[in-house]
Amino acid sequence: MQALEKTQVTETDDTRRLAGWSPKVLLRDAGIGLALLLLIVFFSVSTEHFLTPNNISNILTQITINLILAVGMTFVILIGGIDLSVGSMLAFCAVVGGTVLTIPDLSVFQAVALATLAAIGTGVVCGFLNGWISAFWGLPSFIVTLGMLNIARGAALQVTDARTIYSFPPSFNAFGSQMIFGVPVVFLIALVLVAIAWFVLSKTVFGRLLYGIGNNEEAVRLAGHSLMFYKVAAFTIAGALVGIAAMVYMARLNIASPIIGIGFELNAIAAVIIGGTSLNGGRGTVIGTLLGACITGVLANGLILFGLSDFMRQMITGVVIILAVIIDKYRERLTGV
Amino acid sequence: MKFSRFASIVALTVATALPTIAVAADKPVVGLVMKSLANDFFKNMLEGAEAHAKKRGDYELKAIGMQNETDFESQLNGVENFITQGVDAIVIAPADSRAMVAPLKKAMDAGIVVVNFDVSLDEQAKKDAGIDLAFVGPDNRGGAKMVGDALAKDLGAGAKVVILEGNPGADNAAQRKLGFEDAIAAGKLDLLDSRTAHWETEEANAVFSTMLTAHPDIQGVLAANDSMAIGVVKALDAAGRNDIKVVGFDNVPAVAPMLKDGKLLATVDQFGSQMAANAIDKALEVVAGGPKLEGWVKTDIELVTKDNVK
Repeated sequence: MQALEKTQVTETDDTRRLAGWSPKVLLRDAGIGLALLLLIVFFSVSTEHFLTPNNISNILTQITINLILAVGMTFVILIGGIDLSVGSMLAFCAVVGGTVLTIPDLSVFQAVALATLAAIGTGVVCGFLNGWISAFWGLPSFIVTLGMLNIARGAALQVTDARTIYSFPPSFNAFGSQMIFGVPVVFLIALVLVAIAWFVLSKTVFGRLLYGIGNNEEAVRLAGHSLMFYKVAAFTIAGALVGIAAMVYMARLNIASPIIGIGFELNAIAAVIIGGTSLNGGRGTVIGTLLGACITGVLANGLILFGLSDFMRQMITGVVIILAVIIDKYRERLTGV
Repeated sequence: MKFSRFASIVALTVATALPTIAVAADKPVVGLVMKSLANDFFKNMLEGAEAHAKKRGDYELKAIGMQNETDFESQLNGVENFITQGVDAIVIAPADSRAMVAPLKKAMDAGIVVVNFDVSLDEQAKKDAGIDLAFVGPDNRGGAKMVGDALAKDLGAGAKVVILEGNPGADNAAQRKLGFEDAIAAGKLDLLDSRTAHWETEEANAVFSTMLTAHPDIQGVLAANDSMAIGVVKALDAAGRNDIKVVGFDNVPAVAPMLKDGKLLATVDQFGSQMAANAIDKALEVVAGGPKLEGWVKTDIELVTKDNVK
């Protein structure tokens, strides 16, 4: 009886979210947007170069990889999980993709298409394993992905024999710094991914059930849904996005090294949390994640322009993460979302 | 009674025979303690040492590495294991120039020949522990000065430059920064900013792009390793700036094309592949009864530019 009641509660919660733009959710994202706006105003006034077209496109390029990883992380955190393996997986996907990309005698198109498939495929396999192992044995994803963190890093080192892969096709390399009206193409790719993720999470039954699992796993199970399927799906989506991020990394920097991406998982988690998604799962939006990634990117860039030392910069980033969680507590109490 | 007598005879025979066997049949054992095996630099170094062991053929090489550059605990365990195994020499690239002094003292007390290479142990820590230990390695500061001088010569006095530093707290990062500053002072360059990018390509790319926004008049960049220099070169490509000169450090294979097409002005080769091998040679000299090593045995460094890149 109690379980049934919970199911109903979840359903109403979800129905509200299904609308995507319910006033309260909108208010949440608007709050984070306001924080971003304040930061932008602050740096525009206090530094000479912040609000210049060049710098804005720099920031957009700089946040692209973190944003793509953070979109995937949003899926995982929404179901109440965490993925610590994305940094290592990025390296693994990159070296697999990079190896394919440097196969001789392929046309650029063939090489890029195959490399993209290989990188995303690698991410999908790792993500699938993360989800399946944690769901099948009922293990905390914290531990399983900690294992994957080591497996993927080891695999990346193994396949490359710890060597850096370089000399990709010049046109692929040029694509990494391409602009459309001053907006980096790689950032546009990330924006498309954000839009797709937003649609999936707020407009589909699938997305609604992911929120449901984060809110009340038992209720979703009792309603007759396979928890296994949704958990595996969330981690697999995150893995696929890591594969895409790996391709962006290679296009931008023209190398694939097995030691890239160390600590990237923490930056992605930070963007998601600053974006207002609850670590307990069930609450948050991918628009919030976009704003969160922008906030971390604007801070990293603006504080250098402001002339702050590296060490102060690191401290301030830490303070912002904690502030975001504290604000989230109050917001939860005030709005109930 | 009979059995215990038998046992004691066996024990005695074994006890006396074993060391004889060890001395007669076995070559000296050298324990090589490396830093992270997860990058080209140490990978080359290990391969160089393995090739060297094969070529000399008169010693046995046991090598260990660690997970990453800052994981000094596995180095500590490695040194302790080597002491337990009773190796003849330990050749070590310390992960932490202070923390590794105590375990190495233990090894020396156990009669093991210890040679320190790659990164020098802290002088004060050595003095505090009461040990005297030679260092076989390149002059990071001298190398950084050399490549910085090349940049200064190209740009001329008064040119505006920025530095990308390695990990704060790492000894080679600090030495290279000092070397860059020496070159900047000698060449009368104007240092606009100096920031860390933690040896990382992606971070260097982001940090440098932002520095370039803050100081569009940058003329030269001194990167403390080639991974960061690669990130800088990519940032310059993206910004369409081909007027800015970049120098790096390490001469990793990935920079060869950049040196050839002029995107990287110069880098420094420390001959990492020979560094461990050199240190092993020195250790074996001492094991064979040679004089104790003293002070700083400097190893070769070379400036690599488009003229001598392979």
